[in-house]
Amino acid sequence: MENSIKITIDGQVFETSPGKTVLDVARENNIYIPTLCYHPRTGKAGKCRACLVEVEGLRGLKESCALDARDGMVVKTNTEQIIQVRKMIVELYLSNGEHNCIACEQNGHCELQDMAYHLGIERPSFLMDYQHVPLDESSAGIIRDNNKCIECGRCITACNNNVMHEVLDFGWRSGHTKVICDNDLPMGQSSCVQCGECVQVCPVGALTFKNAKGKGPFWELEKKKTICTYCGVGCSIDMYVKDDKWVYSMGTEDNWENQTNKGMLCVKGRFGFDFLNREDRLNTPLIRKNGKLEPATWDEALDLVATKLNETKAKYGPGAIGFFSSARTTNEENYALMRLARGVVFTNNIDHCARL
Amino acid sequence: MTEELKSKIQQIMARYPKKESALMPALTLVQKANGNNLTPEHVVEVAEVIGVSKSRAYGVATYYTMFNVDKKVGKYHLQVDTNIPATLMGAREIFDYLSEKLQIKHGETTPDGLFTLSKVECLASCGTCPVVQVNDVYYELMTKEKVDMLIDSLRKGVMPDLPVEYNWATQCNVLLRNRGVENAKSIEVYKKNGGYKTLAKALKMNPVDIVNEVRNSQLRGRGGAGFPTGVKWGFVPKNTDKPIYLICNADEGEPGTFKDRQILAYDPHLLIEGMAIASHALGCKTAFIYIRGEFAWIARILEKAIDEAKSDGQLNHMQDIIVHQGAGSYVCGEETALIESIEGKRGLPRMKPPFPAVSGLYGCPTIVNNVETLASIPYIVENGAEAFKKWGSEAGYGFKLFGVSGAVNKPGVYECPMGISFDELIELAGGIKGNMIGVIIGGLSVPILTAEELKQGLGLKMDYESAIQYGTSLGSGGVMVISDEFSIPEIAARTIQFYNHESCGQCTPCRMGSDMLVQLLNKIVEGKGEKGDIDKVVWFCDNIKGNTLCPTGEAYASPIKAMINKYRNEFEKLIIV
Repeated sequence: MENSIKITIDGQVFETSPGKTVLDVARENNIYIPTLCYHPRTGKAGKCRACLVEVEGLRGLKESCALDARDGMVVKTNTEQIIQVRKMIVELYLSNGEHNCIACEQNGHCELQDMAYHLGIERPSFLMDYQHVPLDESSAGIIRDNNKCIECGRCITACNNNVMHEVLDFGWRSGHTKVICDNDLPMGQSSCVQCGECVQVCPVGALTFKNAKGKGPFWELEKKKTICTYCGVGCSIDMYVKDDKWVYSMGTEDNWENQTNKGMLCVKGRFGFDFLNREDRLNTPLIRKNGKLEPATWDEALDLVATKLNETKAKYGPGAIGFFSSARTTNEENYALMRLARGVVFTNNIDHCARL
Repeated sequence: MTEELKSKIQQIMARYPKKESALMPALTLVQKANGNNLTPEHVVEVAEVIGVSKSRAYGVATYYTMFNVDKKVGKYHLQVDTNIPATLMGAREIFDYLSEKLQIKHGETTPDGLFTLSKVECLASCGTCPVVQVNDVYYELMTKEKVDMLIDSLRKGVMPDLPVEYNWATQCNVLLRNRGVENAKSIEVYKKNGGYKTLAKALKMNPVDIVNEVRNSQLRGRGGAGFPTGVKWGFVPKNTDKPIYLICNADEGEPGTFKDRQILAYDPHLLIEGMAIASHALGCKTAFIYIRGEFAWIARILEKAIDEAKSDGQLNHMQDIIVHQGAGSYVCGEETALIESIEGKRGLPRMKPPFPAVSGLYGCPTIVNNVETLASIPYIVENGAEAFKKWGSEAGYGFKLFGVSGAVNKPGVYECPMGISFDELIELAGGIKGNMIGVIIGGLSVPILTAEELKQGLGLKMDYESAIQYGTSLGSGGVMVISDEFSIPEIAARTIQFYNHESCGQCTPCRMGSDMLVQLLNKIVEGKGEKGDIDKVVWFCDNIKGNTLCPTGEAYASPIKAMINKYRNEFEKLIIV
């Protein structure tokens, strides 16, 4: 391979392209390095210290999320010292807060749980004095459980740097550090627009969706990739589905850099799919017969529309016909409708609802 | 918020290269205008004027301890420093006396709204403890009689003038040359004694030659880490199109350290001359002095001195020197946290690399130097590197300020050659009071030395290498002498309490590890310690050390581990089960 580098991790030599971090190379090769604050879409943060590795020739342990892989580098990810540090981190988290997995929405999909599992820590060896804080359920779609928060800061970076809503930040300091909305308002009273980006990047169960609560543990959900129908941006959505029912939406994380939405969603793409589960949802076109709407086939419906258009055009001329397009369609579809109006029906009466 | 206040904030915004930097000064102003209090509404208003998000402003306001967000503070906020050096010098008695006299506990306010009493962390007044800070004013060397006088006067609405006799001496006559000169802080007096001549000389020199002279002097940073100053200056990229910033670190707050304020308050022009020379050497146009918020009155002295220097044409080669006041955060003494703080953010240290010399303030090349370091520059430029090196040895050259506190007869600041023997320094400080059981020689973050250790070897010299040989570090040169009146486990518990209070809360081992150590050490000191608790403390110290985002974790893990290792019996005695 031209322009490639070789790096040794835990005795195995890997050939890879430059421009990656040690963590990237390890993950590509299925070597487990825990991370709690690093997320591909929020970047390195240096806060959790879970991804520390040993590098030959460098003093002390280094953050693998921030360390550029260089040719000839020799890295160890599982020395006794590293294991001890990881154990300390998990012990500290489990001893403080309420990290009980049993009924947690994130059970089976929690990065702290993963880390504890890999280290074989089921319960901490000591407990600290801890004061339970009430849940914040004030917002329409998100539950905040600060008892489970690990102060990794992903949600804050995502809110400020990804979606740029600038609602979240850290308040106070030391052991009192906590994530705040605006000037420490309940989320429902803050300037939060409920885009749900914070929930998507949360590594634990501190931020969850109200609509998903109790709908099924993570392992019972099926991930289905689709495109949002709300507007022409065409955001890629991973819908989590159980028994053919929509449970919640995540912006697609796989290959996120090449998605138009870069893994993000707005409030509609995030929450606006509860109609999918409704019994009274339209499944076929309806034609009004004798004052009553009755199900019809697409052929019947389109034939009816074409007939009526022709009749109207013949009787009143093309100026009597207008077309109204939707912001939920793509540019291409809008273009096609415009061609139909101008090129087939011969009317300039075409408009668009650039709003929802 | 009044229009007048708003326009004041806008003036501050205009002075900084980026307007967000005005956030902390604006909060300070608004708090002062509102009788020492900040409401969430005030914070939101400030955020709107400056143009930052509400959460960012609120995050900043709740990070720094001097902002009284949503806590009622009386007209006079009595803040008693209860850190280690203060404790060693009787602060607890003064606090208890105040508490009894005013019938209020820590954090409480008298019913008439006149007094609020608080225990606070190190006020950098270690040589003159007990100290009570009343709003912006320090009352030092407090006795019960002086407390009575203070409270009587405050009840009459008068901030009294209670004079203090400071101990100091100089063997080198450089940094403390003007310490005893009357009104040395005025530019006339400073110039009469030869001030600003070196700046004139430096401005005629090629900047590279100044950097080389400083490098050849082997001056090492006096803030604590001891990094060679000339080498640091050499890291600034050549031919950069970005502005280069110089920041003077005047966030003196490491317990045991109270040296920089001797220069800041008594010879501010020495520092300004040093900064002006350094700015010329580095190609810096806008420089900053980051001073801890508790030193508000010293900030005023510096601002006045800068104005004088500007009017006198001394700073014509520069745009500005801006005094930026902190608001209560030890971690802001770490250079990247300090930079964040100037940028109007929470004082959270950054990941390194990049180092500030490459990407610092506003993403531009930045050099952060300690007050004493910058104040040493005029001497080196005037007299040459060799003259500087006539003091000390390879193990550390030049003159150095040592602050001596705790169980000595004349606690104070002493300017001595590097490598002065520990015994001679103690003699300067009037000798040991009582029976010494240990000493911390470089500020609270360095490992303690026992009295027995000091007797071993050739004798401890106060320089970088000798300190390392003795298994400790010279740090900032803040010497705390501990006598047998105090118990080491108690000191260990108080040490972790300080670092826990000051932890920025960003990284897991420091935020939660310090919480954990507070609980464990308190448990031991309260006599409830169980078998294995001491080993747990050691295990945490071992795993915290070197594994935190910034050096703060190590700053408590090393000294606490040393206290346990060297005085383990005392800890064992407290274990019940």
